[in-house]
Amino acid sequence: MYRLPLSGIRVLDLTMGWAGPYAGRLLGDMGAEVIKIESARNWDVTRSLHLLGRDEEKGYNRSGYFNHLNRNKLGCALDLAHPQGREQFLKLVALSDAVMEDYSDDVADDPGLSDNVLRQARPDVILVTISAHAKDGPVAGISVAAALCAALLYRRRTGHGRWVEVAQRESLASLIGEFFVGFSMNGRQPPLLGNRHRSMAPHGCYPCAGPSEAGWLAVAVASDAEFAALCRIMGRPDLTADARFADVVSRYRHQDELDEAISAWTRGKTSREAAMVLQEAGVAASPVASVADLMEDPHLRARGFFEKTAHPEAGVWDTEGVPWRLSLTPAHVRLSAPCFGEHNDYVLRHLLGLSAEEVAELERQGVTG
Amino acid sequence: MTPETAEDLPLSGFTVLELGEGVAAPYCGKLLADYGADVIKVEPLEGDPARRHGPFPDDTTGAGLPHPEKSALFLYLNTNKKGVTLDFSTASGARLLRRLVEEVDVLVENQPPGRLEELALSYRELAHVNPRLLMISVKPFGEGLYGRWKATNLTSFASGGQMYLTGDPDREPLVSAGYQAEYQAGLNAFAATLAALLGLAVMEIGQHVEISAMECQACVLENHPPDYAYRPSDALSRQRGSVNPVLTLEEALTSPQMKARCYFQEVDHPLAGRWVYPGPPFRLTGGPPSDGGWGWRAGRAPLLGEHNEEVFGELLDLARSDLVRLRAAGVV
Repeated sequence: MYRLPLSGIRVLDLTMGWAGPYAGRLLGDMGAEVIKIESARNWDVTRSLHLLGRDEEKGYNRSGYFNHLNRNKLGCALDLAHPQGREQFLKLVALSDAVMEDYSDDVADDPGLSDNVLRQARPDVILVTISAHAKDGPVAGISVAAALCAALLYRRRTGHGRWVEVAQRESLASLIGEFFVGFSMNGRQPPLLGNRHRSMAPHGCYPCAGPSEAGWLAVAVASDAEFAALCRIMGRPDLTADARFADVVSRYRHQDELDEAISAWTRGKTSREAAMVLQEAGVAASPVASVADLMEDPHLRARGFFEKTAHPEAGVWDTEGVPWRLSLTPAHVRLSAPCFGEHNDYVLRHLLGLSAEEVAELERQGVTG
Repeated sequence: MTPETAEDLPLSGFTVLELGEGVAAPYCGKLLADYGADVIKVEPLEGDPARRHGPFPDDTTGAGLPHPEKSALFLYLNTNKKGVTLDFSTASGARLLRRLVEEVDVLVENQPPGRLEELALSYRELAHVNPRLLMISVKPFGEGLYGRWKATNLTSFASGGQMYLTGDPDREPLVSAGYQAEYQAGLNAFAATLAALLGLAVMEIGQHVEISAMECQACVLENHPPDYAYRPSDALSRQRGSVNPVLTLEEALTSPQMKARCYFQEVDHPLAGRWVYPGPPFRLTGGPPSDGGWGWRAGRAPLLGEHNEEVFGELLDLARSDLVRLRAAGVV
């Protein structure tokens, strides 16, 4: 089989929502065998968030949200609240490298499935707990994926599994660290700047021509040379000679007038045209891309960023590829998101070695439905 | 809480060379260092540009005056690293850099697109020097049509799709505070580095990892591409909302939960002083006591060129007189 960095790593993913599932998706992208475990009693909330009508047959397999966040995973339906489900789950833990969960009240604090119980099933298992706050955004999921990889590296060196804890608020605070250090220095909240910058000017977002109101262009000018290039492209070389805009400090003081002059130019161009000519002249500029813009962006298309993904019930659609480009082991969308319980046979019969009768019995008891 | 040695941290034993400027690659390097890797940061002789960006501590007049050793941005993004200065655009500097590359597992860089290629320091060339090298390139767009485009955090936030979704729907799109596009690229680079390190055991050979900030953002949009593909109308994506943290900085710093978890930690620095820094984005508990309890360490940023003698002298075995010559030639 084609080798990926995490080939041979099995992760049981009990998370739902955004952060945990995005982490599982990234690990799946990198080649881990990620088995998403849900139950009919407690399935991933994003299965219910879809744009199809509620009476749509099996709409839970067609949610755009769910299918977006859960590609490159297998799906198994197993009710962990049921003693039989728990028993099968612990057998599965014995065969797995890591367990990710984000419903601590149900799992980690539950005497039935504590860290200790998991460790009895598999002494070096890595347990990743995402705090309740982490159910919100996918960005925290990147930290979760990194945390699990760090624990795997540690285990490889020492043989010991760790309990990994990710609190969303903490992982997001890490992305604005300089504000905290700055606040501790001076006790001041920095002023809100909108689209402006402490030192660069012009620095903003300008309205463009286009079929709808959708066109905006972001421009950031860092130096005199870049400002001269901007003025040349706008056909306003006179601005460089204007005392109000002659240097960094004066441009900063007269930003409002500068923004007007730039808007007058951008209104006559589409955001893409404007970005192209400014970039050719060495000025940092970009269209403010909407999802629709990204889907047809020539740079992303030429890089093969979007991949056609066929889902057995949701159809064929373009989905983002893998954001980490590894030269020797390029990763792709190998699996569309699982339908509910799609891989029960693989998990229960192939991995756990249950007989057809045993599987049928679990189904009768409502453990796997 | 903070260990003296890093032997028991999750990334202990890995060595990293960082050619990072600003936010993206330095944040990746910071996380690698905070979780135990030995990170050598290479700065140009005048220092990482982040040293020129504030906030800076107030002086007696109440104004935060710029000082290269006192930038909160730099201090935060470069904790636990060793710092060396090196002008690798000179032939002598490039030679030294290649020798450093021989010694490390990972090279993380966010040099302006094309710069390393012009200096014959591309992945292809460096892989000759060290076939097991993992080179992580964090770029605004990545190779391709926009490969050489200039970018700042503002334009990067715009190109990845996050800006369009931020702000008041009746007004122009808004960039969020700080350097979100760059931080997110750095966070992705960090996670990808760890995955690639795990893969190294399987592959037995290094590889090049490219991170495009644009693609990283496009993967985490609220109104994501499949949703759009399902129902191609931009009715949804025209809605905007704020992604800024709602707590004030002071509320977060004094939050009982953050306090109880000891999230914020004081770190001393010989020139900048003793200030409060955010803690780990994740904790690895259940390790040996010597790992600080979280698999993470607090630490400070290096002074400009602080570890030149240690790194060039001890690691590369240069004589003191050689170092003097390199200094005189403006290489170090």
